[in-house]
Amino acid sequence: MSKVFMQGNEAFAEAAIRCGCKYFFGYPITPSSEIPEYYAKKAPSEDLTFVQAETEVSAFNMVAGVAATGKRGMTATSGPGFSLGCEAMSYMSAASLPAVIVDCMRPGPADGEILGSQGDYNQLTKGGGHGDYNTIVLAPYSVQEYADFASLSFELAEKYRNPVVVASDGTIAKLMENVELPKKNYEFKRSDWACDGMNGRSHYNDITTCGDGPEQWEHFNITLQQKYQTIQQNEQRWEEINTEDADIIIVAFGSLARVCMDTIKIARENGKKVGLIRPITLWPFPEKAFEKYEKTNTKFFVTELNAGQMVNDVKIAVNDKNRVEFYGKLGGITPTPIELYQKLCEIYP
Amino acid sequence: MKSKLIFSGIGGQGTILMGKMICTAAAKKGYYVTLSPAYGQEKRGGRASCQVVISEEMSSMIISEADTILVMDEKSLNDYENKVKAGGTLIINQSMITKDAQRKDINVVKIPFTEIAAKAATAKSANIVALGAVVKTLDIVTLDDAKEVIKVKMKPALVEQNIKALEAGYHYL
Repeated sequence: MSKVFMQGNEAFAEAAIRCGCKYFFGYPITPSSEIPEYYAKKAPSEDLTFVQAETEVSAFNMVAGVAATGKRGMTATSGPGFSLGCEAMSYMSAASLPAVIVDCMRPGPADGEILGSQGDYNQLTKGGGHGDYNTIVLAPYSVQEYADFASLSFELAEKYRNPVVVASDGTIAKLMENVELPKKNYEFKRSDWACDGMNGRSHYNDITTCGDGPEQWEHFNITLQQKYQTIQQNEQRWEEINTEDADIIIVAFGSLARVCMDTIKIARENGKKVGLIRPITLWPFPEKAFEKYEKTNTKFFVTELNAGQMVNDVKIAVNDKNRVEFYGKLGGITPTPIELYQKLCEIYP
Repeated sequence: MKSKLIFSGIGGQGTILMGKMICTAAAKKGYYVTLSPAYGQEKRGGRASCQVVISEEMSSMIISEADTILVMDEKSLNDYENKVKAGGTLIINQSMITKDAQRKDINVVKIPFTEIAAKAATAKSANIVALGAVVKTLDIVTLDDAKEVIKVKMKPALVEQNIKALEAGYHYL
């Protein structure tokens, strides 16, 4: 199949349409706005439903509504909008709704800037809203992977009946690259749990998020936690580059992992054995990737476009068995490959 | 690695469009191309730039040092002169930049894009004159490849004037 030169957000939107996501609800916010724009443009010809809500609070709840019917629906936003949607994230998690949410991260706190950032890591991976819940979080590092995640995110959402977040950022959202788009091959199948009328059943399905006493609510929470444990066991995803003989391993995700691909090349050219672990799922965090280094002298260099968030998950994963150091960049500035190499050399001369 | 480029100017000068056109032509030839744009919140007048990587394989979209940098305004010259790698090329829009480049270890090319564009077609096509100069400097895509992109990407009414501008930029060097 031929490739097209396309922007990250537009490639994701086109891929989502091709994998059967016919419902989009959103409120425009840079750097996510090309996704709603693309849906709005394609709505008449592709028979899509596009609603520009009055606020992200509404958009997220509209996504909850369409997910409750078993249909594929999504929203896309950035950090300030995701904060407003967190109440709905908590409710969708409690209701086990298979929704997809894109967060094109930009630097905060508050309105911040419109460039690339990874400052929402904790918000996305540790819940963000109230209560004990987790959402699967996928972090793309290329336009191709961003587009591929459209299909994967809905498959995972439906497999576990759980919201899935695609953690893009200002850089990946605006990046333009050659991309192979998926073929249209989605066939809608009714779900036996969905609220879509009786439709041949003897009863209406009921989806609720209300407790009925602490014992019942404890039982409900234990069931949710069991689901999260299954996801943690089965869905840890990561990529390793040049780690086999590495003395130092860089840990980076999303757009910054892409920069680190050149950093490890520069390091090798200068005689330093440096590799890269790139978490693809931010939740579940790929702890398994670190197991084999437990009894080695491998050192880790964690770098993020934030003040140090994923580094805490790396520290838990290595459990004090290896040295872990951190370098972060704030405000929307992405460091160059050489800048990262120089920082790495300062820390590990 | 074939080439790492940076195009920088003021919003409205068409530097990001130039980047898209060079990438479209290179992608058609089978290269792995990456364009990372950066622009401010202003509709016009803010900084608009893009980093372009043309390569055989996936690599960083953020460039440490560029092989070729095109600066369309003086602020871009101030900000990007040091990003050209030693032995690389700095193309300066002489129509808007009176200042000279400071570095002696790079190849500096000065071209009056606006005047050439006005003579060939219309001053509005200054960025396409620049595209012609970049195509000549790079030697990755041909003049015909770039013409093809103009034919596909631009409104039919604008094709002829922009091809004239492209040729004028290409043949100026």
